[in-house]
Amino acid sequence: MATTKWSDKKWQGVDALTAAIPEANGQPEASWDQLSKEPVKAVEGIIDTGNPGETLIEIRGLHKSFGKLHVLKGIDMNVHRGDVIVLIGPSGSGKSTLLRSINMLEKPSEGSICFEGKDVTKLSKKELCSVRQKMGMVFQQFNLFPHLKVKDNISVSPRKVLNMDSQAAEQRAQALLARVGLADKLNEYPERLSGGQKQRVAIVRALAMNPDVMLFDEPTSALDPEMIGEVLDVMKQLAAAGMTMLVVTHEMRFARQVADYVLFMDDGVIVECGTPDEVFGNPQQKRTRDFLHKVL
Amino acid sequence: MFDLTKSWDIFLSKFPVFMDGVQSTLMLAACTVFFGFIIGLIVAIFRRTKIWPLRILMNIYVAFIRGTPLLVQVLLIVYGLPQLGVRLPRMTSCIIALAINSGAYMAELIRAGLQSVDKGQVEAADSLGMNGFQKMTNVILPQAIKVTLPAMGNEFIAIIKESSVLYSVGVYELTYQANKLASTNFRYIETLLVSAMIYFVLTYAATKLLGLLERRMRRGDNKMV
Repeated sequence: MATTKWSDKKWQGVDALTAAIPEANGQPEASWDQLSKEPVKAVEGIIDTGNPGETLIEIRGLHKSFGKLHVLKGIDMNVHRGDVIVLIGPSGSGKSTLLRSINMLEKPSEGSICFEGKDVTKLSKKELCSVRQKMGMVFQQFNLFPHLKVKDNISVSPRKVLNMDSQAAEQRAQALLARVGLADKLNEYPERLSGGQKQRVAIVRALAMNPDVMLFDEPTSALDPEMIGEVLDVMKQLAAAGMTMLVVTHEMRFARQVADYVLFMDDGVIVECGTPDEVFGNPQQKRTRDFLHKVL
Repeated sequence: MFDLTKSWDIFLSKFPVFMDGVQSTLMLAACTVFFGFIIGLIVAIFRRTKIWPLRILMNIYVAFIRGTPLLVQVLLIVYGLPQLGVRLPRMTSCIIALAINSGAYMAELIRAGLQSVDKGQVEAADSLGMNGFQKMTNVILPQAIKVTLPAMGNEFIAIIKESSVLYSVGVYELTYQANKLASTNFRYIETLLVSAMIYFVLTYAATKLLGLLERRMRRGDNKMV
């Protein structure tokens, strides 16, 4: 008898605990968020850096859903030649999805993305390939081809896609590698490289196609802290050389130093935008202030 | 009773007969692996296509071949084709039968290999502007086949052994030769043991050679030994 009594008491205790958790009583999980956050307010109008260069990318009314999950809720922005735009924001805010939509790695649910005058959402497979050649992409997980040597990783697409001859492609690979300080790694397999070296090779691989814009999807997030610098340095060089760049990153110092323009995203919309000094120095939105307060 | 020392004598005195059989067996196995691989590759790639009738056709092929005995398939092709008016040399129709059989198994192996290639690899190839064919030949297949190679080796070894069913349709491969010899000298145990030993030497040598090839292909990755 004594034991039953004890266990009754124990279960009563658990009931008392779960009563305090709303989800356990059938209420949606979101209720916690709604308590702490007011609804997001997107920047009105079309975001434009005001750079006088020609417009490379025009994004209009872009929405993306994964099943029921509404990830992008209306993005309107222009990217001009020579812009260095950095996207910041909490994880799950849709910044990677936005970046990946630009070269159609994610197919938008709604809206248009024009690149050099062509709507990439409406292209045939063949046309899409030729558009993608003009957009370099760097991934968080490097995605180097493990079965190819560094030189072949870099030269395979110029050779096969652009029909460059092998010797020219290899020379180009060599020259680009030298620029990122990896001239001696030409004949290594990717597995023999450190994370920072892999990412630099990945940047070179994208550059070898001579792209008009470079998309960086959290390029330093998978790196050990001491290797982040070497990758950011290469990106700074690239920005200084006038490359058009869109960068999703958590490196706020980099964003502040290198960006012409910073976009803060949350809940699938662009909440705040402006020069680094405006966004970091004097954020107007509470969401931006909260986020920067957490990460800085 | 039997006398195993006689095996050696039979082996030596009938060496050319056995070697004829070995030659046929190896030729069959090599051709089967070659054509089976091509069939398997095509089927595995088509099984990923968006064209659903093609996909279903390929699935039926694989299911049918894997679900029926090899001997029945061989008999169907070897004796069935002439009934349809297609007359081929015996050896050719046997290779077709074995290749069709092996192709289904290879398709499964290659499919597993294709599935093992990381999604990031495909995205990287896409982002570089490769089209479907360039992506497949330069990025996906080399990685998929590397993963599949050990299983392919096993398939080759299995075919060396399984080609012995062709004995029943009168192809002069190793088992046929041994059986024919035994039926003239009445030393079944000794003669068939010789053929068994020859099969063993063939498959063992093949295992070793494939191990060597695999180690060469491993350059550049960091998988467990």
